Amino acid sequence: MEVKPMSETRADGGSDDYEHYEAVVVGCGPGGAAAAARLAEHGIETLVLERGVEAGSKNVSGGLIYAEDSAPYTIDDLFPDFREEAAERPVTDYHIHNIDGRQVTTYDLTDLHEHDTDWCDAVLRRTMDSWLEQRVHEKTSETGGGVLTGVRVNGLLRENGEIVGVTCDELDPIRADYIVAADGVNSELARAADLMDWDEPDEWFQGVKAVVDMDADVINDRFSIEEGEGVAHLFSGDLFEDVRGGGFLYTNEDTLSIGTVFHLDSLVAEEAEPHELLDALLTHPLLAQWFDGEYNELEYSAKLVPDSKKVAHREPYADNLVLVGDAGGQMQAQGPIIKGMNHAVTAGALAADAYALTRGNADPEAAGRRYTTMLEQSGTMGKLRPRRYELTSTVGEHDLVTRAVEGVLNSPVGSVAIGNPIAKRLLPKAYNSPFLVGMLPDTSMAYTTLPSLIGEKHGRTVHWENEIEPPTLEERIGDLTYNTDVGNPHIRLQDESFEASGAAVYACPVSAEDFGGGCYRAETVTTNGSEEKLVSLDTQPCVECGTCAIVADTEWTHPRGEKGVEFKQG
Amino acid sequence: MTLDPDDYTVDELREELDGIDDVEEVREALETERSGAERKTALEALEERLDALDADSSDDEPTRDKKHVRALVGGDYADMWVFCETQHGELLDVSKEMLGKARELMDGYAEDFGDEEDVVAFLIGDGCADLAEECIAYGADVAVYHDDDRLERFLHKPYTEISAHMARGQGTTESTDWRSYDEPRYTLFPATNNGRDLSALVQAELDSGLASDCSDLFIQPEEVSNPVKTGEPGVKKTFERTLHMKRPDFSGFEYSTILCLDNPDRDFHPQGASVIPGAFDVPEPDHDREGLVVEHDMELEDEWFSVDIESHDTLEAGVDLTGHEVVVCLGRGIGDDPTLGMELGLELVDAFDDAALGITRGIVTSSYQFDGHVEQYSKEERQIGETGQEVEPPLYIAAGVSGAVQHKVGVDESETIVSINTDSDATIRDFSDYFIEGDLFDVLPMLTDAVKSGELTVEAVADGGETDE
Repeated sequence: MEVKPMSETRADGGSDDYEHYEAVVVGCGPGGAAAAARLAEHGIETLVLERGVEAGSKNVSGGLIYAEDSAPYTIDDLFPDFREEAAERPVTDYHIHNIDGRQVTTYDLTDLHEHDTDWCDAVLRRTMDSWLEQRVHEKTSETGGGVLTGVRVNGLLRENGEIVGVTCDELDPIRADYIVAADGVNSELARAADLMDWDEPDEWFQGVKAVVDMDADVINDRFSIEEGEGVAHLFSGDLFEDVRGGGFLYTNEDTLSIGTVFHLDSLVAEEAEPHELLDALLTHPLLAQWFDGEYNELEYSAKLVPDSKKVAHREPYADNLVLVGDAGGQMQAQGPIIKGMNHAVTAGALAADAYALTRGNADPEAAGRRYTTMLEQSGTMGKLRPRRYELTSTVGEHDLVTRAVEGVLNSPVGSVAIGNPIAKRLLPKAYNSPFLVGMLPDTSMAYTTLPSLIGEKHGRTVHWENEIEPPTLEERIGDLTYNTDVGNPHIRLQDESFEASGAAVYACPVSAEDFGGGCYRAETVTTNGSEEKLVSLDTQPCVECGTCAIVADTEWTHPRGEKGVEFKQG
Repeated sequence: MTLDPDDYTVDELREELDGIDDVEEVREALETERSGAERKTALEALEERLDALDADSSDDEPTRDKKHVRALVGGDYADMWVFCETQHGELLDVSKEMLGKARELMDGYAEDFGDEEDVVAFLIGDGCADLAEECIAYGADVAVYHDDDRLERFLHKPYTEISAHMARGQGTTESTDWRSYDEPRYTLFPATNNGRDLSALVQAELDSGLASDCSDLFIQPEEVSNPVKTGEPGVKKTFERTLHMKRPDFSGFEYSTILCLDNPDRDFHPQGASVIPGAFDVPEPDHDREGLVVEHDMELEDEWFSVDIESHDTLEAGVDLTGHEVVVCLGRGIGDDPTLGMELGLELVDAFDDAALGITRGIVTSSYQFDGHVEQYSKEERQIGETGQEVEPPLYIAAGVSGAVQHKVGVDESETIVSINTDSDATIRDFSDYFIEGDLFDVLPMLTDAVKSGELTVEAVADGGETDE
């Protein structure tokens, strides 16, 4: 590894001096790791740049990674000891709970879960990604590259308008014949290449998660499982009032991952506070059975989730740059199906193969085109952007239709339809059909109305009292580890008016109305006698989810290498 | 007549060229050679001559005046010299720090090598005679100063000339008879803006080297095998009394040790370093210490003062909140009327003999509009907490501060913490000695009155009000 520190750069900035690698992979999450590992297996000199202190320190996920029978690559194909070394418990039990007040209807979704699933494990990203980083470093070192942590890639190096490399905060620009942007949901490279934007809240979900401490024995006991077994629970219904989304609970070795995922446009429209929605789940009587009055939260985190149905890029390349994983919108979230990391792994490996196959081709876009074809032919794009969704969504999401359907459901006739014995048999079937789930329109009908009607008609009543007290937002921020880049905020507010940026005050997972310790604060300011509502920003508590980049008027970048929040769980 | 290089061998050509002073003629000959025989050595000879003539003829070239003063060979060196920078008639802390370190080094030197050599402070400025005395108290054996009202501010040319003049021991017998060596053995400069400039200029003037921005210094012998230093390959040579100068490199990722060693045919003395302020401790002054104060004697040429300083500005030095009896900190509780809140905080500060006003990060990053007279107090320089200043006063008063952990780490060590908050569940209550539940807009004026009148102590207000310990 020979990368020059800034202090040794030539004063004239001559580009002849730049380091060159055959391939540069930006980001060492599962997508970047898969790409780098495959590139190295093809004998390609590969440099991996990771902005965290180590891989995983910047990563958050709900927590399940799948190995699909139909996928051309799974993570244990590429990293054989993955499940033993980097994963938590496998999911052996899968349920969805439709909640209507204290009424809860539970369906066993194991059939749906096991459809096309070779295995599925819960993961914590700090453990998982840092293990991957070690393996990737070993593999890439053999072909003249390696992993460099603490380096933030901030843009693309162009020559005559064409992408020829990357630029970084910490190092001189680096030239590369092939660039894999696996820099996550807020990919600065995808935006620099004009492949993605941050414009529409309805293209995104926001997830918040709490990792909760619990002894392995206690987990086994409370979830009635053995060692080597694990559960996944999904939650839908009126827990979250009218905000569209749901919740999840996964068992790790000796922690629980509990979180909520909402449509970002719905969060904005309902002016909902993400941490309160999470608390609504945590404090629901249904969860009392698993906490038994004890609650010790280790880490609060958040992330944006692209809605692949809308944003998975059909041609995720520009010049010699390809997008992999969240950076390319490759996150499948359709009703209870939430799959992201597995698709990132597939895409990363395919991106590497595409380059190996087209190596030597003078056209810089040859690899990108091949990658696109491979995504289609492997069926990956079909999963990310299901055709049936595209057929139904134009009707399904139409407000009028939604209201009409809700009207029927709420009418005595509609409720009778749900309440009749046939529906009781059919509903679990419907929920277990990947085909029907893929058709679910993204409206409150699917998330709230239907589940709560189901809950009302079929549910049992939960009589437990949940007495736990989740930490306040102030405590949650206080428990996180930050390496603040003092005097160098990574987000700048472009428009501080409440009209332009006020949505961030509630939609930001570390901000809240009337909370002065968060990122975004609404303030009433009196200037020359006239009152004005303004928004101010302090980036210190930022968890780098990217929500404000979409809902507020900001100039958004990641912090420099090693700066900002450091997740210990992820 | 033009010179045709083809008529000469290269050696003959060299000789011939020495007699030609016309640039044009040499240039033409160069062209002829280029288009003709193109002998490499002949081209070199022609280019060399051209360079020499160019250098002589271009009067506006700043390098023209540069005289290359050959360094000494086998010179006589002694003492550790310390440039003591002054500002507003006072020694900078770094000057004292260097004197303390120099004292320690030269005491060790006497022990290790059996020679007693001196710490020599040198000062340049307007009215620095008294400060020379002070240098003795901080550890110098000799203090040489040059006083001139034109030297009130740092000027590159005269400061460099004077420093080199002093170092070489030039000047009247009376002002130099205390010493008997060619140049100092070691010289230290402060790594301040001015000190950095001066260190480079003076060390260049004395034809030596410089290790800049050092954070540690020690003296010990060093065995070296580099033939450039030993004179012949394969031979090891020990350089006694070598100053080891440690400095951070690669943005502090690693430390290098820089040595300044003589070559066989050329000395590199004084061994020079600039020292990062704060790298060493300020020593306790000993005002009974005896030493020699010498006024340096030198005519300063008028042309050295061709640079006039027409105006100057004192930069915001920042605010130091530490070292006060009381620190009053305002938080976002002032949000309803930020200007009034700030005024009330300042009034309480004024009521104490020695208090300072701090603010939370929440204020620094807010969009609050402060009226002009209090706006200066809303800046980052007054921020208390993890990303601001850490304070530990005997009394810390937090008004309208919620007490997030990032704030807590900045005030935790305070002896007594009093907090005022409308929310009795505020986190700050957990680490306050006294908690006053109330609106700071009501409570602060009460506290101010109490402190002023002395009739009601802070504790009394706390105990008498709605409090909780």
